[in-house]
Parts: sequence; structure tokens; C-alpha cells
Amino acid sequence: MKVRNVILAVAAVAVASSSLLATSAFAQAKEQFVPVLSYRTGAYAPNGVPWANGYVDYLKLVNARGGINGVKISFEECETGYDTARSVECYERLKDKNGGASFVQPLSTGATFAITEKAPTDKIPVVTVGYGRSESADGSIFKWNFPIAGTYWVAADTILQAISKKEGGWDKLKGKKIALVYHDSPFGKEPIPLMQERSKMHGFDLQLLPVTAPGVEQKATWLQVRQAKPDYVVLWGWAS
Amino acid sequence: MIYRENGQFKTTYRADQQIFPILQDRVVIGLFLVFAFAAVPLLASDYLFRAILIPFLIISLAALGVNILVGYCGQISLGSGAFMAVGAYGAYNFFVRIPGMPLIPALILGGLCATVFGIFFGLPSLRVKGLYLAVATLAAQFFADWMFLRIKWFTNDSPSGSVSVSNLQVFGLPIDSAHSKYWLCLSILLVASLLAKNLVRGAIGREWMAIRDMDVAAAVIGIRPMYAKLSAFAVSSFIIGLSGGLWAFVYLGAWEPAAFSVDQSFRLLFMVIIGGLGSILGGFLGAAFITILPIALSQILPVAAGWFGLNISTAGVSHAELMIFGGLIVWFLIVEPHGLARLWSIGKQKLRLWPFPH
Repeated sequence: MKVRNVILAVAAVAVASSSLLATSAFAQAKEQFVPVLSYRTGAYAPNGVPWANGYVDYLKLVNARGGINGVKISFEECETGYDTARSVECYERLKDKNGGASFVQPLSTGATFAITEKAPTDKIPVVTVGYGRSESADGSIFKWNFPIAGTYWVAADTILQAISKKEGGWDKLKGKKIALVYHDSPFGKEPIPLMQERSKMHGFDLQLLPVTAPGVEQKATWLQVRQAKPDYVVLWGWAS
Repeated sequence: MIYRENGQFKTTYRADQQIFPILQDRVVIGLFLVFAFAAVPLLASDYLFRAILIPFLIISLAALGVNILVGYCGQISLGSGAFMAVGAYGAYNFFVRIPGMPLIPALILGGLCATVFGIFFGLPSLRVKGLYLAVATLAAQFFADWMFLRIKWFTNDSPSGSVSVSNLQVFGLPIDSAHSKYWLCLSILLVASLLAKNLVRGAIGREWMAIRDMDVAAAVIGIRPMYAKLSAFAVSSFIIGLSGGLWAFVYLGAWEPAAFSVDQSFRLLFMVIIGGLGSILGGFLGAAFITILPIALSQILPVAAGWFGLNISTAGVSHAELMIFGGLIVWFLIVEPHGLARLWSIGKQKLRLWPFPH
């Protein structure tokens, strides 16, 4: 009993002191801090783990090559599990660390919506590379959002352009059936407005077939696809 | 020695029936309230507010509601996430569709929507008990998931299914800083706890406890089971709906239906079980345990792993959280099945003798 108490006391003191010491001086080196919101667990881990590994590796590579104009990037990973509440908690925990975050990548559409609301107050740019809130391309409204490498509307349009090229032109799409099998979440619903506009413009029949989140149980939707017999199926999922 | 009520004689029924009859209790509660309202905003950091205190207050309100249903009335419910969702989306619809609707009435109307939903999904409790009722309330959870995903009217026809609120204010005071959010949640929690405590001390609370302990005997002595069970569902769903509105409006700001998934229901049930069934304090203790433990673990585990020279990844921390969490729940249920509140009341009993042991 006594040994156990001593060990527990030492552990408590050590944790307290190390968490105090951890705020040490990054003030000397020229550094910018980037919080890394990643998901290595949860239903989307199969894509989240390689993404997180690649992101961290690239940041280390940039640092090894001398940083950006001599400024190194310090980062800290935070596990979100693709849950909006946890992403918000990670963002709140990391946004003020090491002198403040230079930018944040929310990495989940739900988190993008939540953090977009908070970013103007905190004055932290929200960078969404190829995902995120498609309306945020309008910089006059979303002043702190930077959708780089396109948004989901761009992606959906690219897919439709590829289909039309296969058919031989936009006018050849008239009367064709295109089924969108999408993940039933804000992420999955992002391409729908664009696809509906295109379907009105070119006259093809768009069928929306949702897959319930988290997306591992898809049998019902694929039975519907078989019933509908579309000409093309656009799959809008992620890691499942 | 300190915690004795020697010499504290009550001369009126009113004094005898108060919630905290012992003077030391009243003093401690008064100091605690002063600390909570005045000292915490001065001392706590912004992160502590936004990530720990505000979610703790909102979730303990929800745990209060769940405790009334599960702990005081004995109706096991796995649909608490659904009631939070109905409260949140109900408040959202009233807030957005009626121009000039103030925040607090919108939240209360959201709570009333949750009440109606709760009474409707509480009807199975009149026929089934225990595990089967848990399954029936789980149906409520999945129904709410489906409802807010498929019926576009509830999300104001938003194309992405995600909704958001902004520019919250109460009586002209804006609710945007961490301090104002904290005070709003603390005030609502205080009022709701007072109402809940008085309900469970009164006739209706005794009816609930009678139904919990032996519903056949309760019916024999004249307690109407339908009234008691449905009123428990109604009151509990109102409080949970109110907390759902606060969770969405004040904590998240922008949310999608997945924010109120079945995981939330399970968390609330575990909170109440660990905190102590049938105790108002138990809801708070359980909420503190479940809200703060994952965050504490994610701070402590990398440091602890560092002493052993191991580098633990964030995924490892997340998995370890689940394991430690589950282990602690099992340990608690073995060591103290009546929860943390029972440990607290044992502590108070021992304090009555301290420092003179028997």
C-alpha cells in the first residue's frame, strides 16, 4: 500500500511538472505552428491514417529542407475520430499553442462547418484542400476560408465532364440515367446542388441514392442501384 | 466535529423541509456558487472554458434529465441522444423561422418539442419494462437520426444537411464570449437543478420512485402507472431537450444530425450509471467523469509514455482512452454499484464523526 502511494504521488508530481515545463521556449527559433487535426481511428481510419502519415511526413520534409524561407513548421497532432465535437475540442485546444496557429485544416466537412463559424472571431485561416464547404469559394462572404485545389462542386463537375466526354458531348447526355450513391452526411450531400443544376441544364436523369452513415452497410443502396439500372454510377464515399 | 447539526433546531416546517437543512451544507453550497459564478471566470483559461467547462455544464444538464427517467423512475432509456436532437432542431426551427424570436424562449420551445417526442416514445413503457424498453427507446434514437437526415423541412432545406446559428443574445447581451456562454449555461443549469430537486422531493418524485421500486405495489396503493411513467418521460425529455438546444446553439454553433448519434445516448446512460442512479448530485459527478476523463487522458498518456521512452501516437491515445474508460466503468460497477454519489454520501457520513473514529 505504502509503495503504491509513493508511486502515485511521484507520478502526479511528475505529470504536473512536465505539463508546466512543456510550454517551453519556442520563442527563440523562427517557427510557425500548425495544428494537425487527423483521424487515425473511427470508421474512416483506412483513409485517415495514410493521410495523416503523409501530412506529417511532408511537414517533416519541409523542415528538413530548411523550412519555408528559413521558417520551420512546428505541429501537433490531435485525434478527432471524424467526430465534429472532438474536432472542435482539438481546434480549441491547439489554436493558441506555441504562439497561435497559423492556419488549420479541419479535414472533415462537419468540422469545417463548425470551425468556419469560429475562425473569424479567432482570426485563424481555415484551409480546405479539395474538400470543405463549397460555398466558401466566395471570399467576399467567407473571408477566412481558403478552399485550395478546388471544392466538391469542382470535383463533381469534373466527374460529369468526364462522363460527357465519354458520351461525346454534353448534348449526348440527354435522357441518360446517372445515379449518385452518396454518403448520407454533409460531406456526401455537397455535390448534389451542382449535379441537380447540371441535370436541369443538360437533361439527364439524376437519381440520388444515399448510404447511411458511417457507410459500412451498403447492401440496401446497391440493391436500389440494380433496380434502377443507371447508365453511370457516381460513388461519393470515403474509405468505406 | 465540524459537520454536525448539533444545536440546529428547526422551528417551522418550512425550515425543516428545506433542501439543505444543515447550516454547513448551506455555507458550502453558497461558497461554491460564488466560486462558480465569480471566481472561475477570472481564473480559468479560454481553452478550459470552451473545451471543458461549457460542455460539462450542458452535459450535466442532460445527465440530470436522464437520471430523472432512469434513476428515479426506473425506465431504462437509450434514446437520450434523440431527445437532445429534437430539442436542438426544435429550438433551431423556432429560432430561424419566427423573426425576432429570442434565445431563451426558443430553447424552451425546443424543450417542449422534445417533451412531446418523449411522451410519444415513452408510450411503450406502459407495456414493456427493463431491457425491452431500452430497445424501444433505441428505436427513438434511430428514428430521430432518420428524421433529421431525410425530412428537409427540419434543417430549413439546407442542401448539406448542416445547420448553424449565430448572433445569440439574451436581453440584448451578446452570447459570444466564453464567459457569457458559461454564465448562460450555469444559470440554466442552476434553475433546472432546483426545479428537478424539488420535483423529486415532492409527491410526483415519490410516485416515480414507487414505480421504480415495485410498480405493481405502487399501482395497488393507487399510483397511476401511466401518469407517473409518462410524466417522468415528459420532464426528463424537456430537460434533455433543453440541454440539446444548448449543446447545439452554445457549444457547437454549427451541427449535423450525426452530432446526436447513438454514442451520445450511451454516454449519457453511462454518466448516470457511474454517477449514481437516483441522485441529483450523481448526474453532475458522472458528467464530470465522462467529460473530463478523455481530455485528461489525452494530455497525461503521452507524458506517461514518454517516461518509458515510448512514443505513443494519437491513435494509440484514442484506443487507450477507450480501454481505460471501459475498465474504469467495470471497476466502478464492481466496487461501488451505486455510483460516485454513494461514495460522496459515505464520505459525508464519515465526516459527521471526524476526527473521532468509532
